Amino acid sequence: MRRLYDLAYGRSGDKGNIANVSVIARTPQAYQDIKAKLTADRVKAFYGDLVKGDVIRYELDNIEALNFVMHGALDGGATRSLRIDPLGKSLAGILLYMEWDE
Amino acid sequence: MTLRIGSAQGFYGDDVTRALPMIEGGHVDIVCFEALSELTLAILRKDMLANPTRGYTFDLNIIARQILPTAFARKIPLISNGGGLNPLGAAEMIREAAVKLGLHGLKIAAVTGDDILASLSDLQAAGERFVNMDTGETLADADNQNFVTANVYLGAAPIVEALKNGADIIITGRAADPCLYVAPMIAHYGWAWDDWDRLASGIVAGHLLECTGQVVGGNSLALIDNIDPRELAHLGYPIAHIDADGSFVLTKTPDTPGVVTLETVKEQLLYEVHDPTQYLTPDVSINFTTLIVDQDGLNRVRVSGVTGHPRPDTLKVSMGRMEGYMRELIFTLGYPHVWGKLAQLKAMINESWRDLPINRVEYQLLGIDSLFGGIAKAVDDPLELVVRVMFTADHAETLKTAVRKVMANGLSCPPGMSVSGTTVGGEPRVILGLWSSLIARDKIDPHITYLEV
Repeated sequence: MRRLYDLAYGRSGDKGNIANVSVIARTPQAYQDIKAKLTADRVKAFYGDLVKGDVIRYELDNIEALNFVMHGALDGGATRSLRIDPLGKSLAGILLYMEWDE
Repeated sequence: MTLRIGSAQGFYGDDVTRALPMIEGGHVDIVCFEALSELTLAILRKDMLANPTRGYTFDLNIIARQILPTAFARKIPLISNGGGLNPLGAAEMIREAAVKLGLHGLKIAAVTGDDILASLSDLQAAGERFVNMDTGETLADADNQNFVTANVYLGAAPIVEALKNGADIIITGRAADPCLYVAPMIAHYGWAWDDWDRLASGIVAGHLLECTGQVVGGNSLALIDNIDPRELAHLGYPIAHIDADGSFVLTKTPDTPGVVTLETVKEQLLYEVHDPTQYLTPDVSINFTTLIVDQDGLNRVRVSGVTGHPRPDTLKVSMGRMEGYMRELIFTLGYPHVWGKLAQLKAMINESWRDLPINRVEYQLLGIDSLFGGIAKAVDDPLELVVRVMFTADHAETLKTAVRKVMANGLSCPPGMSVSGTTVGGEPRVILGLWSSLIARDKIDPHITYLEV
């Protein structure tokens, strides 16, 4: 079984209570696959309770990457959050844990 | 002839001495230091309340004593937003250090005008509502008015002016991070303030530079198998070679550890970016979706094709507000019956705090669900649990009492429980709430003060 990590890498960061997660394809083929199947709804469902608000997807064909902007993802933001990772540094990694082949 | 811009700081506490190999090796024409995260200013407010001459980042002491003498001798200007809440105080500190170091003729510029905390009432009277971008609430309607910082994100203009006036070191407060880096490009090439594509390209260069290690192999998932972990402690920080048309090559300090590849550049390109077709800065709105990245030799990535759009009519304001205190305790529970012991611990804490005004209590199981909550797989019967308890209250005293009450159960606790000594001895930490809003550009008037040695 493959995971999204086999097709992509990425990085996450914070701005207030919004986290963004980039998913950068390892190959052009992988990008087409990810672009077709990794919808905002699917990402929102994957994170579950971690992300309270909307997830918006942006496409960057030029660098074969998707950018997910996740509202209400940081327990109030870095300065209020009680999480052990208040900046959401680990959020990109866990998305790549997603099982890819149905 | 390209303009070579080095970046030697990405946060308060970064190793600013990475500027030295850039300068001593003759690899840069200018070095920028980006010191302010969203919460740094609030930290600096605490320093300033204790001592009014402070309020700037201590890293500037290192820059003044260890980097400035070499940079000044080689006519390499330095730009830092580490002035924080007190750019004038920082400039005075630098002047005193420069006198002792005999840096005759040094010109220091301090940019002020971003700090609007004292004028919030006047600005509201003049029609500014400071609507919270997250909640839609106006500032006047906020129940909690305990604001300790209010700073506008300034653009590149005052830095450009200071450079043109021959400043050797420029200290600002809250300037938008990438604007520190685009300022020397504007000063050097004379780009017009409505040359949107060039300004946008310069901002992208600044965006890639401003997190130092993150574009040369740090925090890189793509390169996890390709970088010698020992190198992470000594990464050579990034340098951009900017051409007159705004396109640039991102590289790093030669003969130092680290790597620049398409992967490291792509990872950093989207870092803390939201809509990539309109990344807003005070000077230009940037479209990241037209740019092209090409490997241009070892540790060199060329970026071209960036497009820009007119700057917004408003500037972003970031305010920090005191919202109470938080405290952490860490307990360990071991085999057998760890889940039963966890239930005991929670009940014991609940009972102990029944009459205390605690606002929030969160239990996190380190190594099990603390990072990813419900995504984590259930564990049947672990040998150990490390339980992190986070709790908040309006007043620090409440949290101190809460800790005393829990510790008083030290001999009446779940069997085999232990508590981390360093967390027991800790202090309540301030919770700072961020309030982000916008302000009309014409309400803000940056000012430059020059000090000469």
